[in-house]
Amino acid sequence: MSNSAIDVPSRGGFSFDLCRRNDMLAKKGVNLPSFRKTGTTIVGLIFQDGVILGADTRATEGPIVCDKNCEKIHYMAPNIYCCGAGTAADTEAVTDMVSSQLQLHRYHTGRESRVVTALTLLKKHLFNYQGYVQAALVLGGVDCTGPHLHTIYPHGSTDTLPFATMGSGSLAAMAMFESKYKEGLTKDEGIQLVVDAICSGIFNDLGSGSNVDVCVITKGHKEYLRNHLLPNPRTFVNAKGYSFPKKTEVLLTKITPLRERVEVVEGGDAMEE
Amino acid sequence: MTKQHPAWSPYDNNGGTCVAIAGADYCVTAADTRMSTGYSILSRDYSKIIKLADKCVMASSGFQADVKALQKLLAARHLIYQHQHNKQMSCPAMGQLLSNTLYYKRFFPYYSFNVLGGLDNEGKGCVYTYDAVGSYERVGYSSQGSGSTLIMPFLDNQLKSPSPLLLPAQDAVTPLSEAEAVDLVKTCFASATERDIYTGDKLEIVVLNKDGIHREYMELRKD
Amino acid sequence: MLLRPLSWVQLQLGVVLAVEKRINSPLLEPSSVEKIKEIDEHIGCAMSGLIADARTLVEHARVETQNHRFSYGEPMTVESTTQALCDLVLRFGEGDEESMSRPFGVSLLIAGSDENGPSLYYTDPSGTFWQCNAKAIGSGSEGADSSLQEQYNKDLTLQEAETIALSILKQVMEEKATPNNVHIARVAPTYHLYTPSEVEAVINRPMSIRRKSSLKILPWLQRCFFSSLQCKCTSLFVC
Repeated sequence: MSNSAIDVPSRGGFSFDLCRRNDMLAKKGVNLPSFRKTGTTIVGLIFQDGVILGADTRATEGPIVCDKNCEKIHYMAPNIYCCGAGTAADTEAVTDMVSSQLQLHRYHTGRESRVVTALTLLKKHLFNYQGYVQAALVLGGVDCTGPHLHTIYPHGSTDTLPFATMGSGSLAAMAMFESKYKEGLTKDEGIQLVVDAICSGIFNDLGSGSNVDVCVITKGHKEYLRNHLLPNPRTFVNAKGYSFPKKTEVLLTKITPLRERVEVVEGGDAMEE
Repeated sequence: MTKQHPAWSPYDNNGGTCVAIAGADYCVTAADTRMSTGYSILSRDYSKIIKLADKCVMASSGFQADVKALQKLLAARHLIYQHQHNKQMSCPAMGQLLSNTLYYKRFFPYYSFNVLGGLDNEGKGCVYTYDAVGSYERVGYSSQGSGSTLIMPFLDNQLKSPSPLLLPAQDAVTPLSEAEAVDLVKTCFASATERDIYTGDKLEIVVLNKDGIHREYMELRKD
Repeated sequence: MLLRPLSWVQLQLGVVLAVEKRINSPLLEPSSVEKIKEIDEHIGCAMSGLIADARTLVEHARVETQNHRFSYGEPMTVESTTQALCDLVLRFGEGDEESMSRPFGVSLLIAGSDENGPSLYYTDPSGTFWQCNAKAIGSGSEGADSSLQEQYNKDLTLQEAETIALSILKQVMEEKATPNNVHIARVAPTYHLYTPSEVEAVINRPMSIRRKSSLKILPWLQRCFFSSLQCKCTSLFVC
């Protein structure tokens, strides 16, 4: 049996057999289902008292908007939040997973979670999956060492920045930050700049749209401002409304019950004891 | 010799949506004014509707460079026609010419999706709808472009057209009044803009009737 | 050059064309002499002069009208067709070896019906054309023209037009009119070349119906309505 005809995978590392199979299937026309992508604008900045995160609320599937008001600022810990761009399922799964790990960590240590802990857990996971977990994140929070803001790329690389943008609208949003950001912004100035950056993404990037969500985290306090701004109301509603007259045609109203197929034979041999 | 990059394509898609509705004595043609590429907006005020003759307008989505070339060609052909025949081209004649022009480039097509709206020789509204290589049909209403998959089922529900196979042939024009048709078009675009990322910014509506041609505009979502 | 007499009358309902074809020999097969030809279903053409040249022109006009139908899905107007013909007439001497070295030696009467109603055009070998209400060309054209001037009036019915055209033709013909040596065609609103029996019916019709009674016209008027010809019937009420 030692000279087996079967190729045994070499020990250690990853097996890419399924990648080859998937390539073969894709060439034969079996394509993967489409993903719900949050072609997105997400931003974060550090102001004088902490961190402000911001996000738009559009989720798209190709050219179609599949959610006009989704949530992209995810909870990680009471003092840490994380904006997600990329495949919606990946950003949700990865933030949920890490937030559970952080909770367990808090049970163990009895201390407030640190932003670097979340950062390390996230980048470890993403690096393991070589970019196939499509999550681009902006992680922000305030812990015992002060306010922190990070970006995490799908392959696992991270940055530590005073202001950060991610997603398809990142360039539009960064344009606002680059022109207006300065150190020591007040809370109101910070929120206004985040709103401006998100709006820049909403109006100039087709992958981003609808409303502005904002989350302000300060020492020992947080403020989640869901739908802080609604800059895109519907432009026309016909006063008379529309009726959709024809319903599905009823062809038959008679109900024919299914015939009983199971026959129970009584008086068979009794089960032996 | 440098090899051409294999991923390069001569085509782009600039998105946008067009709708036309024919009535008994009018024709409403509409299109949004957004021009985009990928996730970027190139222009928020780009007219996709061109007047080809006194009683004939064309709305086109797809690749606007091809559309421009097509418009120029049709305008030149119409000028020649006027010189040769001393009259304006009718909408049915322009319909046939457009079909021929598109089919002429069967194997390197104009990447444009057109609807032609106008009035026929009897003054009745007419709408012609095309594919990129010139297959065309006279219909009562039509939609083309990125939002057409969202709009067409709604129009089908509201303006159910008679089967072209029915005998005797049924009139394809809609029973709506002109104002109702304009409101229907506005609803179509407001709704399509909610869900199609390539439709938005502004709606341009061109109404043709016995009094002539007039344009109106309505704002759409800009995100 | 022997020119054959032709006469042509335009009226509000349509156009009538009559032509004498001279059969020089009893051995000649009359049906092989064609002097009225269809260009398109709404345009007919009568010719005088070199018939071979006319055939080239008619062929050209047929291509032009079909091309127009293909390009625009509509019939070509009579004026445009005439213009297209005259363009060819003027093209001799242009280009190199293979081009024509002499003008087309033929005059044409082009009759048709389009969105502007019925119309009649006359072209000559110079490439000029005129629109006429009534026109005669060919060897007896001078006399025929003056008779047309006397008898034409724009309220003629189709039947009257046939009669007048034939009577004028008879005046300038040397032989007796028969279905064999007279051809009649009408465009009202589509081209129709009369069969010998239809020609005979026109020949046998009394010549003197110098219509004055509106009663006679009424049945015709009704037929106009019911056969839905593209007539300008308003003008008929004048009669």
